[in-house]
Amino acid sequence: MIAPHWLGATAAVRAFAERRLSPVELMQALLDRIAALDPKLNAFIRLDAEAAMAAARAAEAELGAGRVRGPLHGVPVGVKDIIDVAGLPTTCHSHLLLDNIAAADAVCVARLRAAGAIVLGKLSTHEFALGGPSFDLPFPPARNPWNPDHHPGGSSSGSGAGLAAGLFPLALGTDTAGSVRHPASACGIVGLKPTYGLVSRRGVFPLAFTLDHVGPMTRDVADNALMLSVLAGHDPRDPASVAAPAGRYAADLERGVRDLRIGFVRHFHETDMPADPEVTAALEHVARVLAAEGAVLRDIALPSLAEFAAVNRVIMHSEAWAIHAPWLRTRPGEYGQLARRRLMTGAFLEAGDYVQAQRRRLQMIATVEDALRDVDVLLCASSMDPAARIDAPEAVARTYPRQARTPFNVTGHPALAMAAGLSGGRLPLSVQFVGRNFDEATLFRVARAWERAGGTANLHPPL
Amino acid sequence: MDKDLMLALARRAGLDRALADFPADVAAAAAQATGHRDIIQPPADPAAEPWPPMRAAALPGGGGL
Repeated sequence: MIAPHWLGATAAVRAFAERRLSPVELMQALLDRIAALDPKLNAFIRLDAEAAMAAARAAEAELGAGRVRGPLHGVPVGVKDIIDVAGLPTTCHSHLLLDNIAAADAVCVARLRAAGAIVLGKLSTHEFALGGPSFDLPFPPARNPWNPDHHPGGSSSGSGAGLAAGLFPLALGTDTAGSVRHPASACGIVGLKPTYGLVSRRGVFPLAFTLDHVGPMTRDVADNALMLSVLAGHDPRDPASVAAPAGRYAADLERGVRDLRIGFVRHFHETDMPADPEVTAALEHVARVLAAEGAVLRDIALPSLAEFAAVNRVIMHSEAWAIHAPWLRTRPGEYGQLARRRLMTGAFLEAGDYVQAQRRRLQMIATVEDALRDVDVLLCASSMDPAARIDAPEAVARTYPRQARTPFNVTGHPALAMAAGLSGGRLPLSVQFVGRNFDEATLFRVARAWERAGGTANLHPPL
Repeated sequence: MDKDLMLALARRAGLDRALADFPADVAAAAAQATGHRDIIQPPADPAAEPWPPMRAAALPGGGGL
């Protein structure tokens, strides 16, 4: 029998229903594992063990009485610490907000709780969800379970590290320039940036209004589809929220990819930002496997990664400056150095720069829309390298920007990153799939076909 | 960006305290801004709009925003 800490949400709910496991037993197994492993992984900024166990007892009693709150009844979830959980501090991993107690749950947390999920605690992030691993912040940076000498990606660092280590089956992340998909890539789990506007951002500390997304992070594709089905929904008080019909995200999971058209964006990793040879080989392998499964692959060209990144950065820094200027003027010493440098960038951009970036952005959206009329899904790189050592700031600074995630924050299309294998150094390699707006179901279908054929859901670090 | 311009922009933005305490960070921020701005190729068409600032282009069934 599989150890409880490796059970996904789908499997845990089934085990509860069949009385093979109880919510309290699962919670205790996870708390024991957290006590054993988190001192060296630092996935948690704040563990709320007492409240989580009390909620597990309540969930167990409800099950005994025949009451099921929803599809995640009794399933523990970790929450990135820029997302509000009522009664807990939302620190954004910053000295500036150590006492910032949330008055209410963020909408995404409320939706998870309404479905029966149990909040385990708040998870590590880069300060205000940008920058990189830092050692001048209130808490130590999260580390990669595959090798704690390496970083776990970011900024949803604790979400990725904790999932890969088996500390919880579900986590919430946020993604403004790739921050769900980077830890998914570095830790070998599944991270989705949904279509812009599909998941409410209300109650999440903003980084950049027109680029911010909340996304589900899980160990397998089926759990990701399940979690999205709970998170998605219109919120009239989030100006970006879309009144989209509820998706049946898991409907086509096992349908395979026969006759699906997949566009391979090779220039991202071949010429724009030449990838590590192991990453290139892994991407080619994924493409060959999907073709063998019946997909029809063709090459697709999009604008260059450098220009996508520049548009992302000009917009992100302009919007972030609008948020942080008051603190940067009066309390600059309370930021860590990485965040301070990044957040002040917006002070040196002009209104015209922002408008030009937005004009170019609309062209880029149209270009990706055109590509997705010719194919059903795009396949491309996520990270160009395996995770660097966390104690090598130059290597971290060199590899962090070497990625192909920002294009889809610029365009808003749904994008999913997951494992594509392991490097010779036993670190995860990654692949990214990108879909049409609001067509996460097809994205999950392709991701599941690769997961099944590649066996990636069974990859666990040697802890 | 030359140093005088960088200092003038930083002061206009109210970053006097950061300039005093973290001058290297202010200079790094200014350099990042220049680097990003110079890569973007703005649309040649004068009618290319920046609005809406963000939208998901199509809903299932062909609807739009």
